[in-house]
Amino acid sequence: MPKLTIDNLEVTVPEGTNVLEAACALDIAIPHFCYHEALGAVGSCRLCAMMFTDGPVKGLQMACMVKAQDGMVVSSTHPDAMELREHVIEWAMTNHPHDCPVCDEGGECQLQEMTVAGGHSKRRFRGKKATFTNQDLGPFIQQEMNRCITCYRCVRTYRDYCGGTDYGVLGSRNRIFYGRFQEGKLESPFSGNIIDACPTGVLTSKPFRFKTRLWDLQEAPSICPHCSLGCAIVPGGRYREVQRVRAGINRETNGFFICDRGRFGYDHVNHPERPRQPRIGGQPVALETALDAVRDRIAVLVEAHGPNSIAFLGSSRASLEANALLRDWASAYGSEQLAYEAHQGRDYAARTLAARVGGHACSLGDLRQSDLIILFGADPLAEGPMLAVAIRQAVRGGAKVVTIDPRPVELPCTTLHIPLPASRLPELLAALGSGDLSAFDAQERATFAPLLDQIKAARRPAMVGGADLLGGQGIAALCSAAADLSTASRAVGVMALLGGPNSYGGALLAGDGPGFDTLLDAIQERTVRALVCLESDPFCEALDPARAQAALGHLELLVCIDSTPSLAAQRADIFLPSRANAEMSGSYINNEGRLQEFLPVIDPGLPIKVTGAGDHPPREFFQTTPGSAPAADWWLLAKLLERATILAELRKTMAKYDERFSMLSFLAAGTTGLRLPVKVALPPVADRGLPHADGSDNQTLLATTGPLGSHWLAHLSAPLAATEPQPYVCLHPDFAAALGLASGDRARLTTRFGHCHVEVRLSAQMVSGLVLAPQLWDTALEGLAPGSLHDCRLEKEARA
Amino acid sequence: MNAYPQILFKNRRPGETVLLAEYEKSGGYQGLRAALQMTPREVCELVKGSGLRGRGGAGFPTGIKWSFFPAEQPGDKYLVCNGDEMEPGTYKDRQLLLADPHQLVEGMAIAAYALQTGIGYIFLRYAYEDCSQRVERAIEEALAAGYLGKNILGSGFDVELHVHRSAGRYILGEETSLLNGLEGRRPNPRSKPPFPAQRGLFGRPTNVNNVETLATVPHILTNGQLWFHELALNPESAGTKLFGLSGHLNRTECFELPLGITLREVVEDFGGGVRGGKKFKACLPGGASTPYLTAEHMDLMMDFAPLEEVKSRLGTAGVTVFDENTCMLAVTRNLNQFFARESCGWCTPCRDGLATISWLLDRLEFGQGTEADLAMLKDQVRNIKGRSFCALAEGAMGPVEALLRLFEDEIIDHIKRGGCPFSKRSG
Repeated sequence: MPKLTIDNLEVTVPEGTNVLEAACALDIAIPHFCYHEALGAVGSCRLCAMMFTDGPVKGLQMACMVKAQDGMVVSSTHPDAMELREHVIEWAMTNHPHDCPVCDEGGECQLQEMTVAGGHSKRRFRGKKATFTNQDLGPFIQQEMNRCITCYRCVRTYRDYCGGTDYGVLGSRNRIFYGRFQEGKLESPFSGNIIDACPTGVLTSKPFRFKTRLWDLQEAPSICPHCSLGCAIVPGGRYREVQRVRAGINRETNGFFICDRGRFGYDHVNHPERPRQPRIGGQPVALETALDAVRDRIAVLVEAHGPNSIAFLGSSRASLEANALLRDWASAYGSEQLAYEAHQGRDYAARTLAARVGGHACSLGDLRQSDLIILFGADPLAEGPMLAVAIRQAVRGGAKVVTIDPRPVELPCTTLHIPLPASRLPELLAALGSGDLSAFDAQERATFAPLLDQIKAARRPAMVGGADLLGGQGIAALCSAAADLSTASRAVGVMALLGGPNSYGGALLAGDGPGFDTLLDAIQERTVRALVCLESDPFCEALDPARAQAALGHLELLVCIDSTPSLAAQRADIFLPSRANAEMSGSYINNEGRLQEFLPVIDPGLPIKVTGAGDHPPREFFQTTPGSAPAADWWLLAKLLERATILAELRKTMAKYDERFSMLSFLAAGTTGLRLPVKVALPPVADRGLPHADGSDNQTLLATTGPLGSHWLAHLSAPLAATEPQPYVCLHPDFAAALGLASGDRARLTTRFGHCHVEVRLSAQMVSGLVLAPQLWDTALEGLAPGSLHDCRLEKEARA
Repeated sequence: MNAYPQILFKNRRPGETVLLAEYEKSGGYQGLRAALQMTPREVCELVKGSGLRGRGGAGFPTGIKWSFFPAEQPGDKYLVCNGDEMEPGTYKDRQLLLADPHQLVEGMAIAAYALQTGIGYIFLRYAYEDCSQRVERAIEEALAAGYLGKNILGSGFDVELHVHRSAGRYILGEETSLLNGLEGRRPNPRSKPPFPAQRGLFGRPTNVNNVETLATVPHILTNGQLWFHELALNPESAGTKLFGLSGHLNRTECFELPLGITLREVVEDFGGGVRGGKKFKACLPGGASTPYLTAEHMDLMMDFAPLEEVKSRLGTAGVTVFDENTCMLAVTRNLNQFFARESCGWCTPCRDGLATISWLLDRLEFGQGTEADLAMLKDQVRNIKGRSFCALAEGAMGPVEALLRLFEDEIIDHIKRGGCPFSKRSG
């Protein structure tokens, strides 16, 4: 631990810390551009100069390039250092246009800050500025190269950190151009990070362009609702709409960056068809009327048919608090018909993980330090994109990565891919755990035996599973294998990609309760007559949508609480509008058991559109804000339970379900969150297993999630919807040849739920004999749940 | 004109390239044979004791560089020859490779043995296609004769040489940029430490030497340290040096001359005096990045240490002479344009600082300059020198600093006249 003196203050820092970081530890602000905690130091901007007056290094040095050593005496205010800083800013500003009034970065421009901090105030260079022709980089990113100060942060983020390949440095001297070889959409699913990385207005958000200045934007620390990783985000809202999302910082989870789904998926909050009014029988009513109607009608049913005639379905995107209150509500009636996820595979996967992962749970931060990562039926880009970036960091540190999956799994790093049908993954996990590969044929043994050796030799191995393909049994096998392969000196880490941001929290509340399929049986048998859906859509999320639709048709009462125009919301007898997570406080538990809080940035209301068409000021006046009826999900449930709607009070009542929920009292937003301590005695989970295709001689279709816009909330976000691919299926080239199909062919995909038209894509990474269908939005097959297998028929169609 | 011993140029004939047979006849590959009789460490020690200093410009003692190299470390190690000769006014490596390329091949083989590097890359300037072809032919000949390849001369040592043509920018002459370029990356310099000897090409120990340096090595092996020492006129120094003359001289050719020869002898005897009977005003002693020498330095020894004493450098010994009618501000402006253009764009002082200096020199040269511009030029130089990431901007400041030191009165004259006193238009 070297001890050094900076500006007459002593500081002791960990080995390997550079002097710039040591100065930051003393709260001494040293202007810098190229240094970034996640990207490291490269010494290109020359701004962080400090004078080393005594000790092992002498003279003017770039603080970011010098490792702190014992006895260093450093000055940040030496005249030489100050003069150089002023000059570096002067040089950076030689070509920078003075267009701050029309620049989107205004108010959050590091160049402005560094210019003030660097002391450059008078322009001496009066020559011609370098100018550039901008590229169209697609729907997310606006480029304005004239503003570039050549700090290299964008390429270091895009290429080095996130593994993109289609954006880089072109040209030389003061004609450096950051861009693509040819104009076009940036291909990386992490492209938006260059907006955050750019210190000035070269790379700005296109959907957010010219909307709001930072000082007019309301921001608050939040948690991304788009997958189970629980990345830190900072949404920004104004005019009653969420206008953008930028990455928050959580060194335990996402680090400094987020994926494009998280960044551009905010727009579901502002969706024009979002139901904002309480409704009974489709007719708008006052909130109190709707709440009374729910209470009354459920009371009548309980009176007539007993407490178990009412079923409750929580969800992985509702807050932990609301899900706990849902259980309170069920208990209040004495109903045991309570489930937390309509998707059976995801439900049992989450519950199995929560019950069994124990001390093996690893965070994204842990994964970045791993030396061997094996993915079993997990496709990070689809199911938890920032996992892919974390894996890349491990690979940059020398880790090996193996993906075992029926699907082609693309990662932004070098991997070994082993195609294997999903049904065989639990078998493989069991074999790896026991070290007995005799169930596999010679060729497979030759593949898996080295894998076993690698796991045993690895010092920080991690195994990752996907809930969609593994289901509860697969996750159980994953946890067992990790436990079996752990030794006294090192544990094998486990991470599972679950269904939603609060799957883990729902799983803890569900315990050993029934699965949704049990509820469906009861609905089918008419023992359950009413269903309350909390931000869940059983019509679309159940593994067997036909069965769900048929059973749900028998309900006498469907109550839905939601913030999206879901099928359940449309068909509900009584509908209560809830707030999106950007509009409320609450907490989620992510897939590693990390409890995290989010805060509201706006209150709900119909977004104000400034049209410039003479419609302002409004000609109609109301006592309330239009569209402001949605309330926090926990607030609605507290109302229904006739409790006080005070979040802190409600949280205090939750420890009865799991004593670890008492940690909610210490929770603060914008922190690393609180990892739940390991709890051993959790009830075992009985799992029916995943349903498989009925085995007729047609082809088998595996429904799965796709990247970016394939998830429900993301699908509702206009910036992402624009990037959704046309419906397609993916086949192994051999299998396609047997079906007479070639890459790019149009085909008709038929299942018992209907048919749709798809494009054929080929990948040699697929298992043969399988039709892979990533989320087929806006087709008859959009309701196929990810991870489900169906019989299908794929027939070639003539080209249009 | 004194006749000095010719070592590197002994087989040189205009328009011809020496093939293997003639090279062998003139004593070629005897150095390699001698080296293979010694241990690698003995070869290093011999070169160290010879006093050979790097001929690429920096003048670092070659033997000392070699002794830092982890020759015993197992695994891949590389030897790289820096033949990216792009310093303006420098063309000696080209003359050497066109005349007698086997010297480089033999030198590479010896160095590879001394450093225990099995693979060598000869990195040649984009424009030197003629040299590339000759070196490739020499490698083929040496391979066929058993001087390269597996088990060279029955020693059990393997050497593999490859020619790599540069993509063609000045920055590739910077050794870490060169390594990036050789790896197929963007040729930005790397930060040091780690030095290439620790982590160089493909992350492995790498030794980088100039063409002329490596070509000198076989002769040291053949003739010994004492002989090499005695070649120089300066008793403190050792060996001969290729001097490439250019500029306002009657004879602009490349000569092999002993280190320690006076500037006067170089200019007046070998250069044939200043063109048109004019007076000598100044010269670049060793390429565009070396500070100017003036008439007062005429009796100075052309060698590493003596030139450093007068705040200049021997550099590559590419001597560019300017006559009395030359505007040194215009010369400096021209040189700076080159450096500003060749900046790789990695660090701010080089990328934008050199462009700012270009702008200032333009203003001053064309009579728009003011006292404030002169003051700005001085503070720019002060903050670029020693503050950039690699030596490119440092080198670029050589002539600008010398201009301010030696010819400030000319700059002030420009400002006062509102134009260039040497220009026919304004004069």
